[in-house]
Amino acid sequence: MRMPDLTALLTATAVFTSALAFTAQAGEVHVLNWKGYGADEPWAVEAFEKATGNKVVNDFFNSEQEMLTKIRTNPGLYDVVMINAAFNDQAMAEKLIQPIDTSKLANYADISKDKAGSPMLDHDGKVYGVPWVWGLTALAINEKSFDKPPTSIAEMWDPAHKGRVVIRDDAVEAVQFGAIATGQNINDIKDMDAVKTKLTSLMPQIKTFWSSENDWNQMVASNQIDIGTYWSGSADRAKTHFKLPVSLVIPQEGAVAWLDAFSIPVGSKNVAGAEAFINYMIDPKFYVEWVTKVGAPVSANTKAVEALPEDAFNRKVMGDPEVAKRIQFQAPITDAQREAYLALWQQLKVDVK
Amino acid sequence: MAAQGAVAARSGLRSALPLLAPAYLWLTVAIFLPLSAMVFFSFMTDLPLTGKPWAFTLGNYAAFFSQSLYLTLLLASLRLGLEVTLWCIVIGYPAAYVLAKVLKGRSREAIFLLVILPFWSNGLVRIFSWAMVLREGGILDTALNAVLPFKINIDLMYSYPAVIIGLVHSYVPYMVLTCYLTLQAIDDSLIEAGRSLGASRLQVLKRVIIPLSLPGLVAGAALIFVPVVGSFMEPRILGGRTGTFYGTVIEDQFVAVFNWPLGAALSFILLAVVLVILAVASPVLRRAA
Amino acid sequence: MATTRFLEWLGRIYIGLLLAFLYLPIIIMALMSFNVSPFYQLPFDWTTEWYASLWQNDQLIAATWNSIEIAVITTIISSVLGSAASLALFRYEFRGKKFLQALLFPPIAIPWLITGTAMLIFFFGVGIGRGLFAILLGHVALALPYVIVVVSARLHTFAPELEEAARSLGANQWQVTRRVTLPWIMPGVIAGGLFAFAVSFDQFVVSYFLATPGQTTLPVEIYAAIRKGFTPEINAVSTIIIVVSMALMLLTARFFKFGGEK
Repeated sequence: MRMPDLTALLTATAVFTSALAFTAQAGEVHVLNWKGYGADEPWAVEAFEKATGNKVVNDFFNSEQEMLTKIRTNPGLYDVVMINAAFNDQAMAEKLIQPIDTSKLANYADISKDKAGSPMLDHDGKVYGVPWVWGLTALAINEKSFDKPPTSIAEMWDPAHKGRVVIRDDAVEAVQFGAIATGQNINDIKDMDAVKTKLTSLMPQIKTFWSSENDWNQMVASNQIDIGTYWSGSADRAKTHFKLPVSLVIPQEGAVAWLDAFSIPVGSKNVAGAEAFINYMIDPKFYVEWVTKVGAPVSANTKAVEALPEDAFNRKVMGDPEVAKRIQFQAPITDAQREAYLALWQQLKVDVK
Repeated sequence: MAAQGAVAARSGLRSALPLLAPAYLWLTVAIFLPLSAMVFFSFMTDLPLTGKPWAFTLGNYAAFFSQSLYLTLLLASLRLGLEVTLWCIVIGYPAAYVLAKVLKGRSREAIFLLVILPFWSNGLVRIFSWAMVLREGGILDTALNAVLPFKINIDLMYSYPAVIIGLVHSYVPYMVLTCYLTLQAIDDSLIEAGRSLGASRLQVLKRVIIPLSLPGLVAGAALIFVPVVGSFMEPRILGGRTGTFYGTVIEDQFVAVFNWPLGAALSFILLAVVLVILAVASPVLRRAA
Repeated sequence: MATTRFLEWLGRIYIGLLLAFLYLPIIIMALMSFNVSPFYQLPFDWTTEWYASLWQNDQLIAATWNSIEIAVITTIISSVLGSAASLALFRYEFRGKKFLQALLFPPIAIPWLITGTAMLIFFFGVGIGRGLFAILLGHVALALPYVIVVVSARLHTFAPELEEAARSLGANQWQVTRRVTLPWIMPGVIAGGLFAFAVSFDQFVVSYFLATPGQTTLPVEIYAAIRKGFTPEINAVSTIIIVVSMALMLLTARFFKFGGEK
């Protein structure tokens, strides 16, 4: 019984002293994000709470649609929400999020100009999202199955890997992947039939459709797969944190890039706390610790990336200008497009049954 | 005569009400009213929640009939439900019989409880454990190859049989328990009487035991068939490429795209089909008895 | 009777096989809670680190207690209300009875995802909101149809003449119910209660929509955790739950008889 008592005492003292120091700012910051995605790291929460006196309350979502539903049905509950830039537009149009006063964020000036100025986040000269991290949906391989890493996306169609290929169970990602494989712009797919044909021919290769990082890692750990689509941050985490034989491949044909940003919902009761939290999330110190301890995508803050060791994956590979030329950032998708993609994806999955 | 019947029915309701009301009130507040909202949504073009303009439409229901995809998947799901239910009967009924009629004393109570205990663990963890068993180089593969003189490759993971195995595992206790409840109620002297009158074991089973335990069998079958038809998690994880079913496309409408009206319409079509099947099946089963 | 003896042994072996099938994944789950690899990787490498880290994981432990509390309360409420309703459906004839019985199937047939979404919207609309109370409200409603169907199946084997006989001996309605009917349906009530517990304890979808930060249940924590590399801590907590409940159940079976010997 001694240990818990001691921790309780320590926590109580910490709360008490921080309350004394920052009585004016004390409050709760309710954060809505994916689980295990930086904002809920215990060490980060603790450091932020100590520094500002705000208490962080994390809540999570499992899909973008669910995130939007949670904000819609809980007005005033959340202070910070993490939104993929492609959804920022929709959240703003529904008046779910409010403009952010970037002058309150000391680290905002270090955000790379192309990200900070993204038309997906800025509307009418107002900033609705603070770029946080970005990453790729590219390919990852099981190192045990390859002597040297492949360079082309065509590897997924190689009969040698029949039944050992995975792809994420996500209509938009699948269709955009098909667009890249057929040499098209992911945000302006002209030849949908080509995408469909290409994906149809991929189906017999597929082992299963993955949905969580854990799926991928388990299948690699038991040596059931050779290659598949994967997220860059997850591949990095699988390799550095979980010591799995996984490496990321950015095929010569290109890869889908996404940008995650923080927003402040309309009706937030603690805007000052939210600003402090967002500022902390884009701070180089937090980022370096996140990458080292857990593994993370690439920060939108140039100073944060520069603070990484030179040979770090997020600096060396992701920062490579050659890579930058190949990747295509996801733009907002209309509901009609999303439904059309889903219909195509479902049809493909039914045909293969 | 008819008027009299009506009076009796009304007074029946009066006596039944105090016992019925708490449960049905609870169901109304927590399920029927929320689902009514969904029924309402299923006739809309768009959700009012998002602030977009919306209108009433039958289009979501029409979508079911205009695309062959949904009918194909509904049939696949019904087949899945039927197969899982049959397997549960084949495996569960004999077990319930042994439990009710062969085992005596304390061991029976203990086993009765043990049958449901696995379901106090987490469903997802159970599915992951099945993956360990079924995959190539997994436990089943290794064990069989250790015993058999010749080499075989067993990779059931991500296939239709894997879905069946996972679902049967999840639902067979329903069948064991409901059948046990009615089998245990059959008086042993009835079976002995049949036997002493010269009926064979099989005849006793056919004429006495099965008809008397039928309510349990029917209840078990309904409790298995109905949720399996709409299941999406087990097929998705265990079925791999073949894991697309009616339940998974409903899930997609809610999770992947924000099309609740279509998702709701698809689920109410499912509900209607399931209710029709139950309505047709129950008198047939009763007559068969 | 040699054949009878033989058939009895066959029956015992069959039950043994069924239990082996049912417990196969549970045994693997328990084994993997002692394995180093978080991805169920073999060869097996013994560790107790997952139990140690579980001990530190206040969030998971709190969620587990919430789950147990909610499941127990759900079991009690739904067994009582459900048994009462089944009794009424069995005993009395009235118009609309078929309809009320049919109404038990929507909660089972509509995928929980839709029910959960509907509850979220509705509870939000009428001001019940989210949290443990809302979760309890939802769980009882989901468990009720199971209890009613199971108890009704048992009631079908009940001879109404028994109630008549007791009544003719001067017993009032309550005495008839308590002394005659309830003992008969008790195995059904217990089975219904076990179902209710399982429905609530493993309920993810509905809880997921209704949970708030700090007011979550174990399955919600687990499902959120698998998105980013889940840990065998979850196997550890499931193993502890199974072992403890198995011990409780065997004790119960030892000291408490139900099902009636004949």
